[in-house]
Amino acid sequence: MDRRVFLKVVAGAAAVAVSPSLIRGNLYAADGRLYVGYEKAQIVDAAGVPIKVSALEKEVTYIFNYPYASTPCMLINLPEPTQQEVALKSEAGEEYVWKSGVGKDRTIVAYSAICAHQLTHPTRNDSFIQYVAKNKPTMAYTTGGVIVCSSHLSAYDPKAGAKVLGGAASQPLAAVVLERADDDTLWAVGVLGSDKFQDYFRAFKPEFKEFYDGIAQAKTLVSISAKTVKLTEYSKELIQY
Amino acid sequence: MKKLLSALALSALLAGSMQAVENDHRTMLMKDMRTMLESMEQIQRGGLYSSSDEMKAGAKKLQGTLKTLESEEVKWILPKDQKYAYQFAQKTSKMLRLYSDDMVTSIDAGRMDDALEDYTQLLKQCTSCHIRIRNW
Repeated sequence: MDRRVFLKVVAGAAAVAVSPSLIRGNLYAADGRLYVGYEKAQIVDAAGVPIKVSALEKEVTYIFNYPYASTPCMLINLPEPTQQEVALKSEAGEEYVWKSGVGKDRTIVAYSAICAHQLTHPTRNDSFIQYVAKNKPTMAYTTGGVIVCSSHLSAYDPKAGAKVLGGAASQPLAAVVLERADDDTLWAVGVLGSDKFQDYFRAFKPEFKEFYDGIAQAKTLVSISAKTVKLTEYSKELIQY
Repeated sequence: MKKLLSALALSALLAGSMQAVENDHRTMLMKDMRTMLESMEQIQRGGLYSSSDEMKAGAKKLQGTLKTLESEEVKWILPKDQKYAYQFAQKTSKMLRLYSDDMVTSIDAGRMDDALEDYTQLLKQCTSCHIRIRNW
């Protein structure tokens, strides 16, 4: 290896070490922290057909599992454009920037459906966490148009990187970084913000035995595609206060 | 007039018996809660004194208290301003059953770390419900 090539390799490795998200050529967090790039997965419907962004119903909570087979995420087409370059802070005080929603009008967002407070999440049996439509009331906040965890009434702003609006949650929901392709299909590429995945894996081991044949299956990384269905199809019972 | 008086007497009687039923349920809940506390202490004692039998006995005692919380009767025993949240209490009791079942399985398999983690999760479920329902 000649000296020029050697220097290029060293410089490249240093850049990646400083900011892992540069691996994909995208810098989502302001300083590269709190972003983890996972295998790019196409969002598809229950039959495996790629979802078209324009076909997503407004204000409906869709669920897909990403980046692990057992970690549920919410996909929402909001009624109005999201904010841009929202500065957020994790409970540990780390700052990061959520860029915006995707799609023509920046209305498509995705967030981890594991509540940042006590890890409430949708299961096949029930869901206490969901997006509440703009014209619907909730006890967790003064208006609808928010994500509500009805376990302890935490409210998050889906237009602003899932910033906490009220309740006991001490940090935003982790955001799933989405990419919309030219053919109007949708891809999940990574997770931005402080996720609670390790706490979740530790806390719900018995549940994983019931729903995923154990922890090993639950921790399998999603690859190629992630199936999405409406929350009303994902969980038998929705509880919203 | 006679009819009116009869109707009033009947309503008072009904209201009284409803109140009595509610009081009965509350008394039952208080008894269950005390038993839950004892069972949690028993599990903890078992863990600290390395007695798996004591832990399993605590788990069994805990499960004996879950019937009311799991059923629709839970509506009777919640504070008036929290009655609407009965499904949250039901979910909590389901999780208590799940973790206590898993604790027994873990003990039988000799996985004491997992059993103690289950105990931690049981305690979290208790406090989570108290924070929510009792506005702690």
